[in-house]
Amino acid sequence: MKPAPFEYVVPRSPDEAVATLGRYEGDARILAGGQSLVPMLNMRLLRPAAIVDVNRIEGLGGVRAEGGEVRIGALARYADLEFSPVVAERLPLLAEAVAYVGDRQVRNRGTLGGSLAQADPSGEMPLVALALEASVSVLGPGGDRVVPAGELFLGPYQTSLEPDEMITEVAFPDVPGRVGALVEHVRRHGDFAVLAVAASGVPDGEGSWSSARVTLAGVGPHPFVGAELSETALQPDDVEAVGRACGAAADPASDVRASAEYRRHLVPIYVDRVLAELRRRRAA
Amino acid sequence: MNVRLTVNGGDHRLDVEPRRLLVDVLRHDLGLHGTHVGCEQGVCGMCTVLFDGEPVKSCLMLAPQAEGHEITTVESLAPGDELHPLQEAFRQEHGLQCGYCTPGFLLTALAAERRGQRPEGEELRAELAGTLCRCTGYQMIVAAVERYFRERAGAPPP
Repeated sequence: MKPAPFEYVVPRSPDEAVATLGRYEGDARILAGGQSLVPMLNMRLLRPAAIVDVNRIEGLGGVRAEGGEVRIGALARYADLEFSPVVAERLPLLAEAVAYVGDRQVRNRGTLGGSLAQADPSGEMPLVALALEASVSVLGPGGDRVVPAGELFLGPYQTSLEPDEMITEVAFPDVPGRVGALVEHVRRHGDFAVLAVAASGVPDGEGSWSSARVTLAGVGPHPFVGAELSETALQPDDVEAVGRACGAAADPASDVRASAEYRRHLVPIYVDRVLAELRRRRAA
Repeated sequence: MNVRLTVNGGDHRLDVEPRRLLVDVLRHDLGLHGTHVGCEQGVCGMCTVLFDGEPVKSCLMLAPQAEGHEITTVESLAPGDELHPLQEAFRQEHGLQCGYCTPGFLLTALAAERRGQRPEGEELRAELAGTLCRCTGYQMIVAAVERYFRERAGAPPP
């Protein structure tokens, strides 16, 4: 349970980090919070030639509201999000989701960028990035590009990032009046979710919702949008239809936490719960 | 590689491989056996130390990552013969049996207090959830921390 030997590189800028990744031609790994990477090193599930420790790069963290967006540095720790007044006020769904991540120790180290790059199929950060339509800034040898969260996740632990690219920032649109809710089925406090469902939408004053969206994790190879409704009253028939749509879009796998069949069974139940919670919050 | 570490206020210079885990440096190179090793995959919390005052799992940190940061281990709580008041609360409430997990709970609780939080009940349980105990069933651990926070009510964070 100790890592195999590797070269340890400490870049001082994102460009230097990307150049290092390029030099190792796919055999280097970025070390951010290390809460997923280091266990895999310890178990020798990964034996990279080099570890690129980005923790000493200045300006890669932080949370700031700017021009209709909340921009969060890739190296922002979960605890930074948990205690950020900007996140609490403008991205309450993200604040709610962060409380489900790991435990105090993990949240003190794990990072938003690391979680998105890890692309755990049941991860809360990929789920919320997709639910809130985040854009991910990615730096590569040719410069910056912006990847919408919906195009980042390709499969379990698979992203559209090239081996010599790194996430530098995540931008969340700041949508005034948006309400969000998150529910999870989890076997133990702090464990990986069996399934997590997020809902968000903008209510008007008369019981109708615009831009309503239900996003799911844990029931497919990566998080996905199960239903999008430009206009809905979220009446019982609507909720049932959303549950059916999400069930049809789900493609769960069996693992140690739950069978595929059980995960499928949970989908409409948790869609119903998250939408009930969404309506309750609007009323509150 | 050469690494300079600050542990419990003392400076140390070490020559280690970069793959050396912080917990192994603390135990094997510095002889600080109060930090324990459990799962070595970030689940159990036995290896919890404070990193710039905040709890982290030292099995998930490479030794060179700690350079330039303050590491605090359980040994700092009671340098002499007298227990730290939080340790005394654990004694009073029988908050341990084998004691293997205790450093994790002590450091996590103290970090919360230093952050200006003295949670109780469910909030306290969530705060302490990163450390596992197989002896007590947690009731007495929670009682011990709550007792300590009660005794400290009104006092400024340490």
